[in-house]
Amino acid sequence: MSLCQSYVPNYFSIQDILATQEKVPCKFEMQVKHLGFLDPGSDKRDIEIGTSIELPLWMASVLNSQRPSIAEVGLPKIFKEAYRDIMKADPCVVDLHKLAQYFYEFGMCLCMLKHRESSEISSVLVESFKQRFRQILDWAQHSTIEVPESKKLDETEKMIYHMGREVGSSLYLWLTEGGSLITAADMVIQHKKMKLTQKDLLH
Amino acid sequence: MPLTLTQRCCHLLAPLIPFTVVFIHLSDDDGVRQVFEEMRGLYDQNVAAANDSTADPDGTAISSIAIRHAALERNKRCLMAYVFNRSKKLRNMRWQFGSILPPEIKANLCEPEIQWFNSYSKCLARYMKSIGGQGLNLAQDVKPPKSLYVEVRSLIDYGKFELDNGEVVLLKKHSTHLMSRAQCEPLIIQGVLEQINH
Amino acid sequence: MYIDNIVEGFYNVVHDSRVLLFVNYDIDAICSARILQYLFRCDTISYTLVPISGIQELRLAYEENCEEVKYVVLVNCGGTIDIVELLEPNEDVVFFLIDSHRPTDLCNVFSSSQVRIIGKPEAEENIPEFDDVFREDSEDEEDKSDNSGGESDPEENRAAKRMRLSEEAILKRREHRLWTEKRDRFVFNYTQFSYFGKASAVRMFELALNLSKDNVDLLWCAIIGVTEQYLLGKIEKQQYILDTGVLQGHVSKLSHNVDEETAEAVATPVTAPRISFIKDLQLALYRHWTVEASLRHSMYSACKLKLWSLKGERKLHELLVDMGLPLAQSRQKFCAMDMVLRKEFHSMIEKLAEKYNLDQLVFTSFILQHGFRNKFCASDVVYSMLALLESTSRDRSSKDCFLEAMDALSRSKKNLLEDGIEKAKLMLTSIFKMVQGALDMQMVVSGGPFLYFVIQEGALNARHFSHPHTLILLAQFLLQAHVMVKKKSLNLPLIASAPLNVEDGTCLVVGIPPVIEDSPRNFFGKAFEQAAEKTNARAQLDYFDSSIMKLKTEDRSKFFDALAALLS
Repeated sequence: MSLCQSYVPNYFSIQDILATQEKVPCKFEMQVKHLGFLDPGSDKRDIEIGTSIELPLWMASVLNSQRPSIAEVGLPKIFKEAYRDIMKADPCVVDLHKLAQYFYEFGMCLCMLKHRESSEISSVLVESFKQRFRQILDWAQHSTIEVPESKKLDETEKMIYHMGREVGSSLYLWLTEGGSLITAADMVIQHKKMKLTQKDLLH
Repeated sequence: MPLTLTQRCCHLLAPLIPFTVVFIHLSDDDGVRQVFEEMRGLYDQNVAAANDSTADPDGTAISSIAIRHAALERNKRCLMAYVFNRSKKLRNMRWQFGSILPPEIKANLCEPEIQWFNSYSKCLARYMKSIGGQGLNLAQDVKPPKSLYVEVRSLIDYGKFELDNGEVVLLKKHSTHLMSRAQCEPLIIQGVLEQINH
Repeated sequence: MYIDNIVEGFYNVVHDSRVLLFVNYDIDAICSARILQYLFRCDTISYTLVPISGIQELRLAYEENCEEVKYVVLVNCGGTIDIVELLEPNEDVVFFLIDSHRPTDLCNVFSSSQVRIIGKPEAEENIPEFDDVFREDSEDEEDKSDNSGGESDPEENRAAKRMRLSEEAILKRREHRLWTEKRDRFVFNYTQFSYFGKASAVRMFELALNLSKDNVDLLWCAIIGVTEQYLLGKIEKQQYILDTGVLQGHVSKLSHNVDEETAEAVATPVTAPRISFIKDLQLALYRHWTVEASLRHSMYSACKLKLWSLKGERKLHELLVDMGLPLAQSRQKFCAMDMVLRKEFHSMIEKLAEKYNLDQLVFTSFILQHGFRNKFCASDVVYSMLALLESTSRDRSSKDCFLEAMDALSRSKKNLLEDGIEKAKLMLTSIFKMVQGALDMQMVVSGGPFLYFVIQEGALNARHFSHPHTLILLAQFLLQAHVMVKKKSLNLPLIASAPLNVEDGTCLVVGIPPVIEDSPRNFFGKAFEQAAEKTNARAQLDYFDSSIMKLKTEDRSKFFDALAALLS
């Protein structure tokens, strides 16, 4: 009943939409009329050649794919040389929740724009994922907290973490023969809890 | 023109990120309306700019038209994703809550969504009736049954419950009963009864 | 009527229909209910189980649940009251009574078929004959004899006839009055004392035995039922020994698995549940507590050694020294003591029992072992379940506690039992503290023919005692202790009272018989009833055990006065 969330660009996937909303710096090579409002710094009516604006990735890819290209796409901060080196050094301590919530998705979309540094970006993505995955696996199997707010994960990793926990609990249920006890639906239990907490708050 | 393009539709989507909100949140009709207005504005500007291409010989208008068009497509995509993901949640709720939603959740839905939910329930019922010639309740026996009768305990004061053979059982809180599995399974899933483990 | 053949008279009758089960709030009832639940589950007899604590609740629950129900089973409730009159059921509803409370109400005994009592009447019940108690032709005869004037011999003249008729009438009335007096005497003698009969759990186990469905778990339930009766002083020691003898027979039968064909003993897995018959000590929870605490808080040892006084403390230390148990070790949990000391504890204390006047310390009991870590002795389980049953608080209603106590018997819910043991420790500690306080401040007052002890509303831990079982344990402990201090109160019974509900201003009153009579026959049931009537006190004799009642706190003092007048 669930479509896979967004390892393939999926039209309806929320994660994909929000990942492509991340901003990249674009250097305009052509003049664009009437759209000066896109640049928060200037108050001109048009965008002049050479202005650099932070635009969302979906717009940047459209600008880039026009022949002749309207703007040149630069790299966002997280994928520049400095941060790439940090990620190469020790990916596990980086707080992706603060730096880039859609690190992996964003990086993959960037690579598809065929930037000149795409190969380095893709290698950084793969390496850091490999190393961080081990930690996520450990947390998913053994942690008791539901929401990993303190765990500095980005959205993709959070999804993996949650899926890991769900799979772990279903395996446990199956192994302990508890599968034969009929239980109330999960949403029903949570709905009841919500109602109880609301009642407590009112009193 | 707002300084930010397509930011409103991102607000629409924020509560739908998986694992953040368990239940469906209040349907954001205002937001949807604002996005529609933005789209209309963009479209009008594009049409005006396209018709005006005679005034712009060097073709620089193409870029602004392209950008506005991309914004329109983006808004459309966001709206579609919003509707799609909410419908997905509703479909999930049909299997968890049954065909009647609790009033707190129903208050969060807009009218078309309620209609969609009802027609989905009808489709599902029609499908279940058509399986195997005499119908099969797919919501029953989700876990493989181990016995014909189960011992259950009532969690709330549900009231009188009529069994298939006409007998009436009073489901008062803390009372324990031995009932046939088929009849008490929907009540257990709804959270009225609790099966006892020995 | 009594049903002797339990399988045919009860089980086969209810086999194909739905049963309504009403269960009282005591351990014996819970154990019987568990056995019944197991049997019903095996044969898929659908049932509804409702816990009830009093007569009013029984009536309410019956009204709510009685639709389309033909068979009602009452476990440890309803035996001592007239069921048919209370519940006003339809003609075709049949009630099965499994009640250890005695005396059974005579209307239930002599009911033709609507009320069926499971078991045989025991010899000491002294049930009067039917004719002594019931008589068809009571009042009607008088009217008929007055009106039958028209049928007489027309030859007798009026005056003679009138004389004859009036003579007959006088004779009849005199005979009727004599019969009524005799009947009242019989009934009074019969209902004067309330006591307990065979444990219901044992009867249910016999049912399982006859159906060949007995197993270790059900036997354990029966053992718990009997142990509860003994620990709460409901039966005498002799009776307990007899009962445990019978159960021991069942234990050895169930644990001796012989393969029928080869006649060799079949090896049971080491982790299978098994019951063993042991000689246990009358020290409450000593395996889960420290030795010192257990000695101090158990009624028997505390009373014999007078542990509420300083002299008693010194004797306790002497005893520990004699046993070779260092003080530090005795203050550690039993399972944390040295292996050597632990193993020898039982034998050492047995040897010293006589010297310290603790000769009744050893009694026979049972232990259940399953798996490698779980070892529970019967009295531990009883204390644990009692504590669970009476641990109501703001979040846990009494029915929640009932269900928890019932779940504690299942082997997979060991954590409930351990939780109960912790609660039981608190309960026993507060009982001891209350006894100590009462004796120090001489709060046990003589009210004439009885002693009484009142826990005031603001007292520490008063809310622990607003439950019947805890209050009974306290009363027994207190009476034994008081007797050790003042020998002459050996033949005085004790009435204890504790606040029940501060908002309603009600209190709980229990009465226990004096120490000198070994038998647990309790005459307070009738006494309470009469005193309440005399003083018009707002009393509720709602509990099935008639020696417990609820009373408005304001009426308490005049109630006690009336009671004193009645009993002297």
